[in-house]
Amino acid sequence: MPNNSTILSRRELLKSAGLGALALSGIFGASHRAYAKNAQHVVVIGGGIGGATFAKYMRFADADVKITVIEPNKEYITCLRTNDVMVDLHTLDELTFSYDTLRNNYGIQFLFDSVSDVDFDKKQVRTKQGEKLSYDKLVVSPGIDFRFEDYEGLSAEIANTQLPHAYKAGPQTLLLRDQVQSMPQGGVFVMSPPAGEFRCPPGPYERASMFAEWMQRHNPTGKILILDPKNTHSKYGPFRKGWERLYGFGTDNSMIDWLALDEGGKVTQVDPKRKLVKTENGTEIKYDACNVIPNQRAGKIAQHLGLTDASEWCPVNRNTFESEIHQHVYVLGDSTIADAMPKSGNAANTQAKVAAKAIAAELKGETPGNAIFSNVCFSLVGSRYGISISAIYEVRDGLIKPKGQSAGVSPIVDSPAQAALEAVYQKNWHRTFVKDVFG
Amino acid sequence: MKRLAPLFAASLLTFGVQAQANEDLRFDPEAMAWLCAPCHGTQGRELYESMPALAGLDPEFFTQTMLDYREGRRATTIMDRVARGFSDAEIKAMALWFAEQPAEQWNPEELNHAQ
Ligand SMILES: Cc1cc2nc3c(=O)[nH]c(=O)nc-3n(C[C@H](O)[C@H](O)[C@H](O)COP(=O)(O)OP(=O)(O)OC[C@H]3O[C@@H](n4cnc5c(N)ncnc54)[C@H](O)[C@@H]3O)c2cc1C
Repeated sequence: MPNNSTILSRRELLKSAGLGALALSGIFGASHRAYAKNAQHVVVIGGGIGGATFAKYMRFADADVKITVIEPNKEYITCLRTNDVMVDLHTLDELTFSYDTLRNNYGIQFLFDSVSDVDFDKKQVRTKQGEKLSYDKLVVSPGIDFRFEDYEGLSAEIANTQLPHAYKAGPQTLLLRDQVQSMPQGGVFVMSPPAGEFRCPPGPYERASMFAEWMQRHNPTGKILILDPKNTHSKYGPFRKGWERLYGFGTDNSMIDWLALDEGGKVTQVDPKRKLVKTENGTEIKYDACNVIPNQRAGKIAQHLGLTDASEWCPVNRNTFESEIHQHVYVLGDSTIADAMPKSGNAANTQAKVAAKAIAAELKGETPGNAIFSNVCFSLVGSRYGISISAIYEVRDGLIKPKGQSAGVSPIVDSPAQAALEAVYQKNWHRTFVKDVFG
Repeated sequence: MKRLAPLFAASLLTFGVQAQANEDLRFDPEAMAWLCAPCHGTQGRELYESMPALAGLDPEFFTQTMLDYREGRRATTIMDRVARGFSDAEIKAMALWFAEQPAEQWNPEELNHAQ
């Protein structure tokens, strides 16, 4: 329990030091401040997890700076928990968030438009609808883009209409839900996760798990076949153990089968007309429902602005997230090269906080402090069976590395309480996390 | 963070830590505390969830609990891993930062009323 008398005496202490409400909460009434004409301007491209967290914490870090977020959509749907939507544990509405609080309480301006170009010499952003905004600092957090060209027969159009990746939240989430839920009894659901760096590394395996649980009830003779272009994946041990416990993984009766790269798991071609995929070694596999999650690269606008390197991701100074290519431009979240950090919402959130502090320091002519990050990522193997991966990160030798002995996945233990608790925390995490981003 | 520095030093003294602390810290205490927000709420002020609020906790309780997690003396699902990322001094610095936060639900409305 909090010790109220200590707190009170600290409040007194603060008052006497003339710090008042400011230091009490660490924040200040920014939203009614009329920004001075000469206020410095931070422009943010993208109001997703990275961009929205950044804007909020930039306000915490600097009460006076003018902050504008440019984002095409008036509301943001989190990818987080869309795997639950596919099995009717959530609705997309419950995962939809508005920018009202950031606007009304944090004094952040929103321009609902897309950025089409940036003039780095003039420090000016141009939007699709022809607006021009000058910036002192520019933050770019545009998420990911898909490499459809890695699969013969696949395109953005086909993903939208026939073969949803459902790796951005929205209509494709519902299309995939409907396709899997309307499979005939005994049907086969084929999933192809990406190779290389991609958003939410455990996401495909969580999705397969949630569908397995759904099929146990609604399509018990159905099968899930994961064709993987990798020989291992995120939370490999905990997923396997969970699949053994819940879905008979490893037995003849397993609901989930997993074919690794070395077993011919790499999909190279899709044929939605004949409902089949073809693997690298020429094998054709029929499906009743299919989810190809394509390989990925930095968001389109990051590529267009030349913020990417040969890897197709954005190199940044790991201590500040300033682009190594353009000065005064910062890249956050999935688009960046962040070494040991996965491409997750939690990672984007803590990168945003590092960038906010770094930019606040630089705008005041101070030197940014050392960066520190965290990632906690829960996945469900079943609606009441959770697993996690987590780490604290710091920068060593110019790279982001786990700090101390913090990196690890859920231990595999006999006690069922571990997985039950992690399922509770998983839901708890999502509710609290979105408040930290949008509230 | 500058603003909190004198208070921070004073608290450390009352907390029985040598005056080494501020200089030895490689990380801004607030920057460390912000990392807890995805689970424990903005400023550690999420009061209505099973992952508990951290705001307003007695700093000795916070420190002891984190050390117990780190050293494997206390059962947990994930906090042992998290705690292994922090040194004694870092844990104490976070303890003091959270002790300064009001033990009230985070409410962005208060931004409109402050000052
Ligand atoms: C199925 C699934 C489950 C997931 N589960 C989790 C989870 O449990 N935990 C977790 O931590 N992470 C999870 N993630 C990952 C998480 O969603 C991403 O890592 C996170 O959204 C990255 O944030 P971002 O800011 O980089 O990109 P985004 O959140 O995608 O935001 C990018 C924003 O930029 C905007 N934008 C793009 N181009 C422009 C332009 N030209 N001009 C203006 N705006 C533009 C877009 O409209 C978008 O709003 C999951 C992902 C998926 C797919």
